[in-house]
Amino acid sequence: MRSTLWKNIFAWLDERLGLNDMYKNVLDRPEPLGNWWNTLGSASLFLFLLQGATGIFLTVYYTPSPDHAYDSIQYIMNEVAFGWLIRGIHHWGASLMVLVVFIHMLRTFVTASYKYPRELTWLVGIGLLLLTVAMGFTGYLLPWHQMAYWATIVGTQIAGSVPFLGDFILQSLRGGPDLSALTLQRFFAAHIWILPALLAALIGVHLYLIIKHGESHFPDKED
Amino acid sequence: MNDETKQQINQKYERELQRGERFWPDSIFKDAIMALAIFILLVLLATFVGIHDSPKADPSDTSYVPRPEWYFLFLFKFLALYGQIPVLGTIEWIAAVLIPGVAIGLLTLLPFIDKSPRRYYAKRALPLGIMGIMVLGFVLLTMLADYPTLASDGSHLPGILQTIAAIVIPLLAYIIFTVMAYTLRERAARGITVTAILSGVLMTGFTVLAMVLYPLPVKEKVEVPTTLVDQIMVGQDFYSLHCLECHGDDGSVTVIEGVEGLEGAFTSAISSRDVLYTVNDASMSEIIAYGRPDSGMPPLGKAYNPEGLTRAEIDYIVIFMRHAWDDRFEMPEIKPLFPPLADTEVPSYDVHIAPIVKRYCLSCHRPGKDSNAYFMDTYENILDSGDNADMNVIAGDENGYLLLTIQGQVILDETGQEISGIMPPKGTLKPDVIDAFRRWVLMGMPRTAEDAAGLAWPTP
Repeated sequence: MRSTLWKNIFAWLDERLGLNDMYKNVLDRPEPLGNWWNTLGSASLFLFLLQGATGIFLTVYYTPSPDHAYDSIQYIMNEVAFGWLIRGIHHWGASLMVLVVFIHMLRTFVTASYKYPRELTWLVGIGLLLLTVAMGFTGYLLPWHQMAYWATIVGTQIAGSVPFLGDFILQSLRGGPDLSALTLQRFFAAHIWILPALLAALIGVHLYLIIKHGESHFPDKED
Repeated sequence: MNDETKQQINQKYERELQRGERFWPDSIFKDAIMALAIFILLVLLATFVGIHDSPKADPSDTSYVPRPEWYFLFLFKFLALYGQIPVLGTIEWIAAVLIPGVAIGLLTLLPFIDKSPRRYYAKRALPLGIMGIMVLGFVLLTMLADYPTLASDGSHLPGILQTIAAIVIPLLAYIIFTVMAYTLRERAARGITVTAILSGVLMTGFTVLAMVLYPLPVKEKVEVPTTLVDQIMVGQDFYSLHCLECHGDDGSVTVIEGVEGLEGAFTSAISSRDVLYTVNDASMSEIIAYGRPDSGMPPLGKAYNPEGLTRAEIDYIVIFMRHAWDDRFEMPEIKPLFPPLADTEVPSYDVHIAPIVKRYCLSCHRPGKDSNAYFMDTYENILDSGDNADMNVIAGDENGYLLLTIQGQVILDETGQEISGIMPPKGTLKPDVIDAFRRWVLMGMPRTAEDAAGLAWPTP
């Protein structure tokens, strides 16, 4: 009796959402034999989602102003229940994500998976790698401690050394000639809105392309 | 790429799919285990390694040595090494923008540069060799990041060794790879592999050589107080050092006495409700940073006073003042300044005397202050510095000036001139502090806890 109820609900949803088609096209696909090197892409995706979830928790208490940023993080670390764990995961997750995404790129390079028909997947992937590094760079300033502050001074200076455009780039990054409250505010905006939105969109394209072309096989002497 | 090649590739892929696995559940299963492993690793890192503390950002503290996140260290080091190159090194944007830009550009356009359909490793020695050497270069640059490029005697040798390891050899290797690939064509794989291994060994060798010949300088570890109790204690130490001379140990002074240049000047009692209830934390730290030029209070902020305090350190003073004197705040239980002494225990400089001196003596007895040139900032200086170096601290002797003055005796010379008044000039030390000083001097001023452990204080 109950099982027919669930069947009816599923049938109703399937009619409207196309769950079975989704299952066939997305999950029930044949793949070449893979090994653990093939898990790095999904590991990157998992880290992105984990960073998103812990990041959302952190914004509940974090305040992006020079007067309060440092103290709000002290509060997260010392007062909020499990705040230390959430921030710890976010902090280490960031490092690990850069590492995993980079190794994922290396794996693709070594097995030459960027070749026909997966050239676009590679292009989008490079975009994802650069966005991940940009997330690391913008996120690093947010704790507003000495290391963050002075590393960002140097980082933005390096970006500002571009001939002709340097001054414009420096001022756009900092929101003025100096590192200030404006810089923190725009790094925060980039870190929680702009870059994640771009990342999510590109991840969508990346995943579509992977499902469309299938994962590449490890090359043998015939290839 | 013509249609025939494309068809071949697609047919080969179809065959691979035939003998392959299913995305669900085969691949997903591995992905799930990987995700779980990553999650456990992150929880362990968060729990057992934690996050390195750094003090609050302080734009005035320009002495701070910047250090980027670890994944930028290779670029940071590359820039540092590049900057050492004569002439070329002064054009910063070549290394900062052009080279990374070209590298990222090449990487992005890779599918359109490497258009051959060949995928097997042995047929792709050139790209694999270049990438292998580049990644090894990243790793070595990251490892070298903290090693100095200048030796202590001013020699450029460490920088040169590092440049050879991480820039010169890789550059030579890329050139040899490319030449081999275009002259030997199909037969280049063996030559490139041998060259790559050789370059890798040489790069690692030079790196190790640079590290061994010129090891890391010893870094001072800066402890950042994170708990309220630690912050209050650090704040009290800074207060004792910089504020106590004028404002007194309880902040109740209204007319300054015994301070050169400010004798008889008026000040508000900074521990009074009038001050604490009307000045908020932000204004309080501004007053400490900027000083009160009209009434003679010097600025303590680092931006206005080279020996001054950072923003964070000033904040600790404010935290101390609030918790010690403001009746709206409750003072948490504070650890004692030094561990209480057992009956026969002899105190040591490291454990007992240093914190006492920092709290009660150092505000006047340090370089830059007129205190008969008697400085108490180090163990050696306490034992013999100042105009009366022979008399200040005498092992085993009750009549050293230090022990006499802290017990209320004024020191006079033969003509009746005062050499030293009682110490500290205002108020008296607590009996346990005086007792610690007596035991320490009479038992021969042991420096470390080990030195003191071998001694016993004779109890009557």
